[in-house]
Amino acid sequence: MEWVEAHGKTVDGAVKAALDELGLQSKEDVSIEILQEPKRGALGLFGGVDAIVKVTKVQREKKRRRRRRSGGDKSNSGSAGGGRSGGQGGRSGGQGQGSQSSDGGRNGNSQRSGERKPRGGRNEGGNRPKATGGGGGGSNRQKGNESGGASRGKGRSGERSNSRNQDRKTEAPVDVDINEQAEVGKEFLTGLLDAFGLEGTVTTRIDDEVLFIDIAGDQTEALVGPKGSIMNAVKELTRTVIQRKTHDAPRMRVDVGGYTERRRAALGIYTSKLAEQLLDDGGELALEPMNAADRKVVHDSVAGIDGVRSFSEGEDPRRYVVLSLEDGVKPRKASETSSDEVSEDDVTSEEE
Amino acid sequence: MAGEIVERVVRYIASEIVDNAEAVEVEIIEESDSEVVAEVRTEKSDMGRVIGRRGRVAKAIRLVAQAAGDEEGLKAQVEFLD
Repeated sequence: MEWVEAHGKTVDGAVKAALDELGLQSKEDVSIEILQEPKRGALGLFGGVDAIVKVTKVQREKKRRRRRRSGGDKSNSGSAGGGRSGGQGGRSGGQGQGSQSSDGGRNGNSQRSGERKPRGGRNEGGNRPKATGGGGGGSNRQKGNESGGASRGKGRSGERSNSRNQDRKTEAPVDVDINEQAEVGKEFLTGLLDAFGLEGTVTTRIDDEVLFIDIAGDQTEALVGPKGSIMNAVKELTRTVIQRKTHDAPRMRVDVGGYTERRRAALGIYTSKLAEQLLDDGGELALEPMNAADRKVVHDSVAGIDGVRSFSEGEDPRRYVVLSLEDGVKPRKASETSSDEVSEDDVTSEEE
Repeated sequence: MAGEIVERVVRYIASEIVDNAEAVEVEIIEESDSEVVAEVRTEKSDMGRVIGRRGRVAKAIRLVAQAAGDEEGLKAQVEFLD
């Protein structure tokens, strides 16, 4: 499932930014969850908080087209992220503003709005400990990220107007055979290995409308790269080529030598370790920036751990996950010591 | 020749993505013993494809070109030229 969180002055603005991020043009293609209604600051000028929305790409393109006529199904909004915001409402009462937002609520999905404490202030918080390391290949990640940032935006108008719109225009899109797409992908990757001068085999598998492509071979590690960055690039290119040649791209996963599974396992272990640490000491832990797939692995792992919650902050490609205790959960260590140390006891009770 | 793999890889990818593969040109500039720049030229109408929305495709090509450079011990950059 592809989703992003985005900020904006208004809900609409945030949704727009999110659509842009996902490379989609219409709200029809997504479900929208409002994580935070925007608020005006004092005198309508200063302060205030941005709108934050979570926008999830809805299923497959083909299904979407069929559904569109029959009233859409935007209702199954971000259930994936549900529940993690807990009931923070009671605390923020002091600010008085309540929920009189300017233009929120128009999307119907806003039932959860207002429950969530404004998160704005937390962003630049600075002195939160950064967790480093992460399931593998820690150091030379920057290479990839930087080159991406620089090239952003250049090609926007180009591809959109050229290929996308034209493809959309063709009425009644032919159902592209996913087997054919698999073949195109396989051919491309075999040629790529060849260009690299690498020995390897490319196999494809289709499971529940998802195309799985595995690249195996002795030296194919070269195609993984730090944190799978090269592998993701290869996937992006494969998708582009398939889209280009069949005018549609399936949902797909590309794996090189079992890397995905190893990465997932390593991230899961890493996440549980951090969660344990949090449960002991409390506070918040910011992980290093990760791509969406890795962030999802972390969110999923956290979802299985009682007392800890996770959310993402920052902008791609430096978006990162933050872990913190769920509301009302006390760090184990603090509660142990609080009984014998009077001073700490005072501090904790003041917070309540 | 230095940058051979980089050139082959970049040319291959670009050709697979554009409409007019014939018009794809990749020129390797040797910046130093350990650094090359692959200059990519395509037909004007194809440049958008090679760069992709928000530069996604260009970014991917750059990353894969780096991997190709690693294969021959080179730092590889890619520039897209009109």
